[in-house]
Amino acid sequence: MTNNSVSFYFHIPFCAKKCDYCAFFSLAKQSEELKQRYFEALLRQIDFFPTDRKVKTVYFGGGTPPLLGVHRLCKLIEAINGRFVLSDECEITVEVNPGTVDFDALCKLRSAGANRLSIGVQSANDRVLMSIGRIHTFEQARECIENARKAGFENISADLIFALPSQSDEEFAKGLEMIMSTEIDHLSIYSLQLEEGTPLFARKNELCFPDEDSEERQYDTICATLAANGFEHYEVSSFAKPNYRSKHNLNYWSRGEYFGFGAGAHSYCFGKRFCAPNDVEAYIQNSRTSLLAPTDFDDAPFVSETEAEEERIMLGLRTADGAIIPEASFDNAKRIAALGYGSFENGVLRLNGKGFRVSNSIIANILI
Amino acid sequence: MAEIEKIRNFSIIAHIDHGKSTLADRLLEYTGAVDKRELDEQMLDNMELERERGITIKARAVRFNYKADDGNEYALNLIDTPGHVDFGYEVSRSLAACEGAVLIVDSTQGIQAQTLANAYLAVDHDLEILPVINKIDLPSADPEMAKREIEDIIGIPAEDAPCISAKMGIGIKDVLERIVKDIPAPKGDKSKPLEALIFDSYYDPYKGVVVYIRVKNGSVSVGDRVRMMHTGAEFEIVELGTLSTFALDKKEKLEAGEVGYFTASIKNIADTDVGDTVTLVDNPCEKPLPGFKKSQPMVYAGIYPADGSKYGDLKDALDKLRLNDSSFTYELETSVALGFGFRCGFLGLLHMEIIEERLEREFMLDLITTAPSVIYEIHKTNGETVYIDNPTNYPDPATIETACEPFVKATVITPTEYVGTIMQLCNDRRGEYVDMKYIDTNRAELHYLLPLNEIIYDFFDSLKSKSKGYASLDYEFKDYRPSKLSKLDILLNGDVVDALSFIVHSDRAYPRARRICEKLKDNIPRQLFEIPVQAAIGGKIIARETVKAMRKDVLAKCYGGDITRKKKLLEKQKEGKKRMRTLGTVEVPQEAFMAVLKYDDE
Repeated sequence: MTNNSVSFYFHIPFCAKKCDYCAFFSLAKQSEELKQRYFEALLRQIDFFPTDRKVKTVYFGGGTPPLLGVHRLCKLIEAINGRFVLSDECEITVEVNPGTVDFDALCKLRSAGANRLSIGVQSANDRVLMSIGRIHTFEQARECIENARKAGFENISADLIFALPSQSDEEFAKGLEMIMSTEIDHLSIYSLQLEEGTPLFARKNELCFPDEDSEERQYDTICATLAANGFEHYEVSSFAKPNYRSKHNLNYWSRGEYFGFGAGAHSYCFGKRFCAPNDVEAYIQNSRTSLLAPTDFDDAPFVSETEAEEERIMLGLRTADGAIIPEASFDNAKRIAALGYGSFENGVLRLNGKGFRVSNSIIANILI
Repeated sequence: MAEIEKIRNFSIIAHIDHGKSTLADRLLEYTGAVDKRELDEQMLDNMELERERGITIKARAVRFNYKADDGNEYALNLIDTPGHVDFGYEVSRSLAACEGAVLIVDSTQGIQAQTLANAYLAVDHDLEILPVINKIDLPSADPEMAKREIEDIIGIPAEDAPCISAKMGIGIKDVLERIVKDIPAPKGDKSKPLEALIFDSYYDPYKGVVVYIRVKNGSVSVGDRVRMMHTGAEFEIVELGTLSTFALDKKEKLEAGEVGYFTASIKNIADTDVGDTVTLVDNPCEKPLPGFKKSQPMVYAGIYPADGSKYGDLKDALDKLRLNDSSFTYELETSVALGFGFRCGFLGLLHMEIIEERLEREFMLDLITTAPSVIYEIHKTNGETVYIDNPTNYPDPATIETACEPFVKATVITPTEYVGTIMQLCNDRRGEYVDMKYIDTNRAELHYLLPLNEIIYDFFDSLKSKSKGYASLDYEFKDYRPSKLSKLDILLNGDVVDALSFIVHSDRAYPRARRICEKLKDNIPRQLFEIPVQAAIGGKIIARETVKAMRKDVLAKCYGGDITRKKKLLEKQKEGKKRMRTLGTVEVPQEAFMAVLKYDDE
């Protein structure tokens, strides 16, 4: 039962510098004093969480979690370890930015209990990295991966962006090979989303973005290259070597419960989906009262059975394991499979790489 | 009861926006029939939609008293007329109830197409025409030009025409005095058998149909049994009276010369056709008053609910609208593509737009309307003649001897600088040039014979845009003429979509087909597979476009388990789906149906 275990997400909304394309909640250049208070708030909240469930995954995302202070991150992991029973093989992931962690920091995280790293590599091309406002080079990313291996991390994931401006398909393909040579275990790949309000959006007319054809070629390159390197395309944006699927993310797609700590963090827990607003000071203030005080839990509705069923299909179809389709939609599912978007066997629709690309429409087709 | 010599029955006729409603308001205000506070802008136009469009759709009438300079008190019946070409017959019946007409001409614009059309109608009905020059307060006013035009073009003296500003209340008394002096009192004999003309009616949920009449001869009292001479329906008068500003003014009796109303527990408005003659069952008149015509729809279109499950709501709404508008017809129609809906008949395009807007506004319905069609007259090889108002029923071309389409006589009045482009427009729309007259050095009056089919799409819009809004249009049905017609079918993913078929002149088929395919391509969203969009005549494909398969539709990131965006998207997709029709396997949004109705030339 999902209720037997829970996943934790920690949102660390601090960055050295916001990347030009980023629309997530994160703040650049915050004071040590604020970080300390935020850390204390997270500690308080950990102590509010009931201890009756095993914790099966923990994920520190952001922002750039190491900017909270690696020592504080370690203390959070230790606090969780001290208060809760962790399930066997509990996956503890920390997102890091190549420019922000050295070998020493990685060793500390590893010895505190972190066992998975998600590294923001984004591109193998320094010119491109600079153009989207990243603070590191590819060489630094490669070093970071090597240091992580030396520090004892056996499960390393990289984030990658495609359809970036001013990059030819060939350059992208070459970059992808270079990333493959770092021998990572997991990849999350997104096409660049131009979000309103970001610096990149403001500059969009000066930049040369790949057209639809080019984006599709890059996507095809990704699917082919990763398959050739032994990766499974197990979720819309995720590829993993066998046994390296992200347990934390799979928990989202299988509708397991998770609790989000920190400002801007989302939760699905105690039967509701809710979140804490993007306001660090308010979070710190409200964190003193109770576990749910910083969130909109009271105003959020319980997830109804109908909604749960929709979520099951909608989230299930994000993964290669697919979803059991209601009989009323069998004809649609058959048609989707016949169009080459996946397979439909024994009532289960599983999308392939081509299907993932148009999954919104497919989901609508099945659900509406 | 007013003596017949002290009654004046008149209409106000004008081109749109020349100030008809404003003058009506001022007359009522001046005579104290309403005080200013009560006056809700333009009370004669009491439908919201009318007010927005600035046109009076249905005739209304009002009686008010005026104490003239000669010391006598007169009863004035103002009978309002609809101001649009679609309602020509209704106008003619309203005029038939009058002895005179106030012809308003805007002194900044001079005579326009409808001024002329209405003035000719009034002349045809032997009405005394009282020209009035309006808007003299505006800096660009040129009253002398307006007077000259009235004399030159309509051929009635205008030297003494009152120059007024209805808006500013200037010259209102002058108009009233002239109405009393110049417009003759009604003639009629109250001892003769009853002859009363129906010029309007509406449905009241408590009283049944309220019938507006002009008593020509004889008299009618409460309790009389009356017969409608054309429909043959008989009723007993429950209530009658005259028409005051805001209410019905009950009386015992109406006599020759008077304008008023009656009710008789009439349930069906179709029993009270405008133009019919009311007489007494016991003492009938010899023959009905002349000029009766059953009003015939000229334009037909299918109306469907955008959301198929709202069919019942649409039916209820149409039933209600029909209660007040017998000139609009509807009958059940089913379309393979659109499901259950109605084939509706309208007097013209404006009438159609009004009904559509009322359905959408007053009844909150989302509609899909199919391309409007005129009625085609098809002579078949077996000697049979059929009238086709729905492209779906167009006979097999092999069985057609001759296909005829309706032509109208169109009058366009335009500043001379646009004559060239307008002639081009008329030629493009298969118009046949009749003649052209110069009204003055600045304006010309063009006459064309045009296929009605070419007018009902967006002729009026094109005319307005090509003349920067200055040209005006009036038209009336002329006759049926043999034509080269084809039925054009549209296929989506290989299947004919019946609701998109239409009849087109063969010479126009190729460009129309191409344009419609392009528009459909632009309006059908990409789907999971490639969709051919084809146009065909008979079995022959004459145009093709392709809606490519969608390539990317994914929310890649649900960061930190935030699936709210995904859920919102699903809700949006659900909403969108309600406005989509699934034709076979293709989803077609309402906009796609709309888009093919407009055919711009570009």
